[in-house]
Amino acid sequence: MSYPTQTVSSSAISGEESAGGELFESLRLELRRGCLVLAVLAQLEQEHYGYTLRKSLAEAGLEIEESTLYPLLRRLETQGLLTSEWREEDRRKKRFYRLSPEGARIFRLLLAEWNRINDSITRIVQKER
Amino acid sequence: MELLERYLQAVEEHLPRRGRKDMLAELRSNLESEIESQEEEIGRDLTETEVAAILEAHGMPVMVASRYGSQHFLIGPTLFPVYWYTLKRSFPLVVLAYAVVQVVGMLLASQNAGDMGHRLGAALGHFPGVALTFWGVMTLGFAAFEYGQGSLFPKMTLPKWSVRNLPSLEAAEGKRYSCANSVADLIVSVLLVVWLLAIPDHPYLLLGPGVKLLHGMPFALTPEWHVFYWQIVGLMIAMVPLKALTLLPSLRHARGWIRLAVSALGVMILVVMVQVRSLFVAVPGTSLTNLSSLEGVNAGIAFGFKIALAFAVVKFGWDLWKEISARQHRQRAHFAAVL
Repeated sequence: MSYPTQTVSSSAISGEESAGGELFESLRLELRRGCLVLAVLAQLEQEHYGYTLRKSLAEAGLEIEESTLYPLLRRLETQGLLTSEWREEDRRKKRFYRLSPEGARIFRLLLAEWNRINDSITRIVQKER
Repeated sequence: MELLERYLQAVEEHLPRRGRKDMLAELRSNLESEIESQEEEIGRDLTETEVAAILEAHGMPVMVASRYGSQHFLIGPTLFPVYWYTLKRSFPLVVLAYAVVQVVGMLLASQNAGDMGHRLGAALGHFPGVALTFWGVMTLGFAAFEYGQGSLFPKMTLPKWSVRNLPSLEAAEGKRYSCANSVADLIVSVLLVVWLLAIPDHPYLLLGPGVKLLHGMPFALTPEWHVFYWQIVGLMIAMVPLKALTLLPSLRHARGWIRLAVSALGVMILVVMVQVRSLFVAVPGTSLTNLSSLEGVNAGIAFGFKIALAFAVVKFGWDLWKEISARQHRQRAHFAAVL
């Protein structure tokens, strides 16, 4: 199987491109959704508050919108995977998050699953090539 | 920082009531940290335009607040297939129940054909409202169940099933069962019976404006009609419960045979019609010419019924043969699976 790399005149396929773009964006978001949870859990092995967590994820190459990250943190806390506490730092009260013991257990399981999937995809793609 | 306050106020308006203050405090803390961080980076206070850019990048207040909600769907992906299946299966029954109620109402209240037509039009006009109400009630019921799952009701789990309990294979060449078609067929049958029963008192329903001409004609319906009429009505009424039986999922294996029984009743109606020796008789004082043409009319109609009967018998035989073949096919498939 070969992967499509040919270049085509943009004016000729402008309609197809926009449809393909939407489809790609939808699939990309679907793919990212689970990965973001894994990345957040991984990052919260160390304590962070919302803003620094977003910055550290971005520095690691995973940009995530604030409006997505902050509600996600609350959801993970409600699910018992994170613990949080309000604390003063630099004369301002901030809410710090970190993995709960249950969160650490789930994170290890998810990471193992992620590695299995990653290995499988790598093998499949290499075999196809 | 007025912009930040305005932004937070707008978000607060849409946040869930529970934990609102805490969410807002966290949001404020994070946004202030971001603004401070940028100020440290460039070594001066941010301008109003730069603060606005940060807040706009954070997102529209209503959208930001909505992401803090615990449930973002009315009916979740687990319950949705059950909801959709229930809606599809129960809608034809709603149509049937509505039709029966309207027909009974018409029979009890209608005085003449015009009144009946008016009531039929009103019934059709009201149906979209009934259908929408049904859809709304079902959706609200499922949404309430979705909302209360796990707290008010036990969480829904799919029932145990076995592939061996699935219906046996249908004959490939046979028509696939359609619940909507069966309901439509049943409604038409009920309406036909109502129509037949209404004809003696309302001949307008059979002949339309021609009923006025009938009074001046030298012919009249034969007295035998009173006997044959009730035989036909009886057979038509017998079809109704049989057609209703085809709607029962528990009788899906017998649907073919039930349809054959309905066809047999149809053949019997034609047999009754063929037995009518003369459909019209002459009134006293009819001329010879009219008598001769009357004989021709009677013979022509009787011949037409005989041809229709012949076709119906052949069709019945063909359907019977197909049903027997399909049954043998199913039995062979069953034995092959067992062996």
